[in-house]
Amino acid sequence: METGIRVLLLTAALALLPGCATVRGWFHGKHGGSNPEAQASTPGSAAPGAADEGTPPPRVIEPQVERRTIKVPHIASRNVELGLFYGALSIEDFGTNADYGVTAAYHITEDFFFQGEAGRSRAGKTSFETLGGNIQLLTEAERRFTYYDLSLGYNFLPGEAFIGRGIAMTSAFYLLGGFGATDFAGDTKFTVNFGGGYRVVPTDWLALHVTVQDHVFQSSLLGVTKLTNNLEARMGATVFF
Amino acid sequence: MVVIATLLAALLLPAVSAAREYLQLFVTEPYLQLHTGPGRGYPVFHAVPRDESVDVLFRRTDWFKVRTEHGVEGWASQADMLKTVLADGSPFKFELGDQAGFSSHRYELGVFAGEYGGANLISAYWSLSLNPQMALELTGGQFLGRFANGETGDLGLTHVIAADSRWSPLLMLGVGIAHIEPKGTLVTPSNRTEQTAYVGGGIRYYLTRRFFMRAEYKAHYIFTKRNENEAADEWKLGFGFFF
Repeated sequence: METGIRVLLLTAALALLPGCATVRGWFHGKHGGSNPEAQASTPGSAAPGAADEGTPPPRVIEPQVERRTIKVPHIASRNVELGLFYGALSIEDFGTNADYGVTAAYHITEDFFFQGEAGRSRAGKTSFETLGGNIQLLTEAERRFTYYDLSLGYNFLPGEAFIGRGIAMTSAFYLLGGFGATDFAGDTKFTVNFGGGYRVVPTDWLALHVTVQDHVFQSSLLGVTKLTNNLEARMGATVFF
Repeated sequence: MVVIATLLAALLLPAVSAAREYLQLFVTEPYLQLHTGPGRGYPVFHAVPRDESVDVLFRRTDWFKVRTEHGVEGWASQADMLKTVLADGSPFKFELGDQAGFSSHRYELGVFAGEYGGANLISAYWSLSLNPQMALELTGGQFLGRFANGETGDLGLTHVIAADSRWSPLLMLGVGIAHIEPKGTLVTPSNRTEQTAYVGGGIRYYLTRRFFMRAEYKAHYIFTKRNENEAADEWKLGFGFFF
């Protein structure tokens, strides 16, 4: 019985010993002592299969080669077309005059593109004004004809155009249809536009256009309300971005 | 004339850009066909054999302009280009204009025609997707009516309820401004610019490739400087594309 208690107390004392400050040194001192040995053995391969389990396995080859990473350059997309045009606009009842403007297009697929355009022209005189002498239907400011529209274009007949044997350029007939607004004679009118054109692309970034369009809007300027047709024929140059 | 020349020069400068680094891709199929133009109908004039590489010069719609090791330049279709690999052997991946792209894309552009408070309306919008369900939208419009003309501008959020499906309802909320120019024969009221807010709903339908249709209704509240606020209904139908 007494021996049992003695064993129990001894076990408890032994279990507590490592936690005791004075005894810590025993264990740590022992580890500390073995550390320099371990450090000494790591750089070389002097002790292969060393019994000490605390040391990492020796490295045979130091990999110095850097893995090749492939940088994927950005692919430029050139779907945007910006340009200028110059042509003639026939304003119904007001004669034919020069017009000019800007276009911006975005090519969505090989078939369809979206186009916005804005143009300006100046109306001439009606026959009534010409014959009537001093009569002025519109002021100078009201004769300014400004329009914009948003259209959907369809590359109707894509093809190639050739100059001699050596030069081939992609080309297309296209159809355009859309709507917009026209500011003329002191009022802004909802306008429907439709037409077509021919585009030839001599280089990757340049395109040349010939376009014919009709701008239709309702007008009651000359007494009766009617749909006016304003035909436009123009040439333009655009740059792809 | 000088202005036009300067403008043209400014337009041309970026196009004539300096030499740049191109993406090199390797052919893994038996050959890669090069067309004379960026379209399905243009004839095939050259074939790049397997294991040779091409430099990708640029892209136009679904076509890539490429240059072979021997300096031959031609157009390869997107479908064929997706069968090529990068120099490390990994497949060339590219964002496609298909329904998967429709479900999750970054930008949208579109145009509408419709009615705003009884007047004809033309409008266009630009949208930035914050995630497939939520987009920030900027809309500009012009309305042309018998009694008034004017412009509207809206900025708001659009929630796409079923981004993955072909049809999806939309919910919209935002603020804007309206510039109203009343027409009058005897007494012409002065033009005014008012703040607005809107709530709306709509539907979008994926058509094909990069196209979709959109129809929407917005109820606008116009906060006037008078005692009573006004309301304007906006109905419109249009199409858009994503990129």
